[in-house]
Amino acid sequence: MLDARRLEILTESAKYDVSCSSSGSKRVNAKGGLGNASVGGICHSFTPDGRCISLLKILMSNDCLYDCEYCPNRRSADVPRASITPDEICELTINFYKRNYIEGLFLSSAVFSSPDRTMEALCETVVKLRKIYNFNGYIHLKGIPYADDALIMRAAKYVDRMSFNIELPSEKSLKLLAPQKTRDSLILPMKKLSAAREYDKQNKIRSGKVIPAGQTTQMIIGASPESDGQILRLTEALYRKMGLKRVYYSSYIPVVESPKLPTVGAGLLREHRLYQADWLIRFYGFDVDELCGEGDNLDADCDPKCAWAMRNMQLFPVEVNTAPLEMLLRVPGIGARGAYRIINARKYTALDFDNLAKMRIIIKRAKHFITCKGKFYGSESRGAIKAALMLDNRAENAEQLSMFSSPDVAVSAITGEI
Amino acid sequence: MIYYVVDGSEDCFYTAVFDAYRQKDAIITSESNLQTELESRIVEVTADAEKAERVRKKLRQLDGGAENDIHLALRSCDPLRENTAFGYIRLIIEKGGPVRKMLAHPVVLEMSDITGKVTGELHKLKGFLRFMENAQGVLYAPFSPDNDITDLIAPHFAERFKNQRFVIHDVRRKIAALYDGEQIILTSVDSAEIYLSEYEKYFEDLWKQYYKSVNIASRPHEKQMKGYMPVRYWKFLPEKQR
Repeated sequence: MLDARRLEILTESAKYDVSCSSSGSKRVNAKGGLGNASVGGICHSFTPDGRCISLLKILMSNDCLYDCEYCPNRRSADVPRASITPDEICELTINFYKRNYIEGLFLSSAVFSSPDRTMEALCETVVKLRKIYNFNGYIHLKGIPYADDALIMRAAKYVDRMSFNIELPSEKSLKLLAPQKTRDSLILPMKKLSAAREYDKQNKIRSGKVIPAGQTTQMIIGASPESDGQILRLTEALYRKMGLKRVYYSSYIPVVESPKLPTVGAGLLREHRLYQADWLIRFYGFDVDELCGEGDNLDADCDPKCAWAMRNMQLFPVEVNTAPLEMLLRVPGIGARGAYRIINARKYTALDFDNLAKMRIIIKRAKHFITCKGKFYGSESRGAIKAALMLDNRAENAEQLSMFSSPDVAVSAITGEI
Repeated sequence: MIYYVVDGSEDCFYTAVFDAYRQKDAIITSESNLQTELESRIVEVTADAEKAERVRKKLRQLDGGAENDIHLALRSCDPLRENTAFGYIRLIIEKGGPVRKMLAHPVVLEMSDITGKVTGELHKLKGFLRFMENAQGVLYAPFSPDNDITDLIAPHFAERFKNQRFVIHDVRRKIAALYDGEQIILTSVDSAEIYLSEYEKYFEDLWKQYYKSVNIASRPHEKQMKGYMPVRYWKFLPEKQR
């Protein structure tokens, strides 16, 4: 039986992986089975660091062959090692799921004995969980670089989501900090999975789809010198060319001492700004070129939408009663939910500022960029607007910081207001 | 002012709507201890299936989704829920069709607020509900939601658990949803005595260990934790007990 100590080691080793989302899959339960997937995802608890627990996130083993500089489980680190058997994982998942502690399993592993052997063990676990334990809840499986394609594709048939972590935003940094991984060892399997999903889509395959909730990836921010502009260009390509569901950013925390690594963490603000820009790219119709030059970093003082609006004051103010949706989405302070509310409400009556306030649309920032029935209540000069927005931003900074690790429930995924 | 006092059932509410519709200054409420003005009148409403059905039929003709909106609104803990739903029905009839997108209208906004709170809590508790297994293998989950959502939350778990029997018990309203592996029955339950399975403590302790280990202690953010997981729900979460 699994004891608390092993669970502790394998959880501690897995916890720096950011992704915990359980969304995107509509897996249904079968007769005699246990569990299903809820498309919007469900958070089951929150830890004192403010992150959500949706999945049981553990490593199968933390005894790693590789020696990646930033990783607490690297070969040369002096840490306690442990592993867990496929049956122990299945038992734990089923019993946690029955008590409604979790929405499913997020299984990952250090690379032990060989990439193929590791992937095989992961694959065996998920197949067992589905076929022997009849589990139909959510499974997110981490892919092992250099593992045989056949193993990866077999696992993909049984799980809801897979992810290969890109780890670092450029090949150069990967070479320096994770010398045993190459860009190809990470990108090629991602491309294969993306092609398999495309095949299912083209052929309208309904049941037995590979990874119905798609792929995600994660990169560490601030352990290497890439600019936000470079990072966001990579992000945009991952979304638009590879069809990824999410890119997670993990601001570097110095848990490991190394001459190749910075001694200070990257800070949450940078991570937060990247998530804001990421949201703008996915849900607000922005292109990365509008947000950030290739060698530049995002503005720390104000969010990327505000910064964009300040650079494009000639487009504002817009009239809320006539502006198209795409333009409303670009008004600082109006989020996706607010924009849709406006579009619906104005069909029945022309809106004034009073209406907006009653509809819970916060006009503190928006007032500088909109008119209501031709009336304008914002500041006239660009300088005054900038001052007001910066003040506003500073006051809200503490609040805003909390957004980044927010649960990936459908509502916030659709709206993610900025 | 005429107060139409209802018993909390939907039939009774729709009956009250039927009776009160032509009165200009009518208020529908299920509050038992009313504070009314001197000149006001109180009417105790008894459910009348025929009247209720006539209102429902009219609503269905005008807006297929209205009944569900009202079904949700009446679960709310808001003391004005019946009257808000009444105003919503009046507006639908006045406009002759769906009004849910007229968000600049105060009644629609109020309706969307209270139904939003009900569905919001429903979603949250799908995550925060905690089952324990008894010696017979039945899962038991006590909870105390703000809104009356026991029968709304039970189908979610029935779908997940299929053959697994369970009980969801609203300890404050003293009602429970019982699921025997086939169907859900709603019943009143005063208190429940539970003999836990021998494995219960083992898994609960593992869960507490997991909760402790997965936290990144160097990045405390209690405020956010409490924002997403309000303290009033902690009572039934094993990971928040010592």
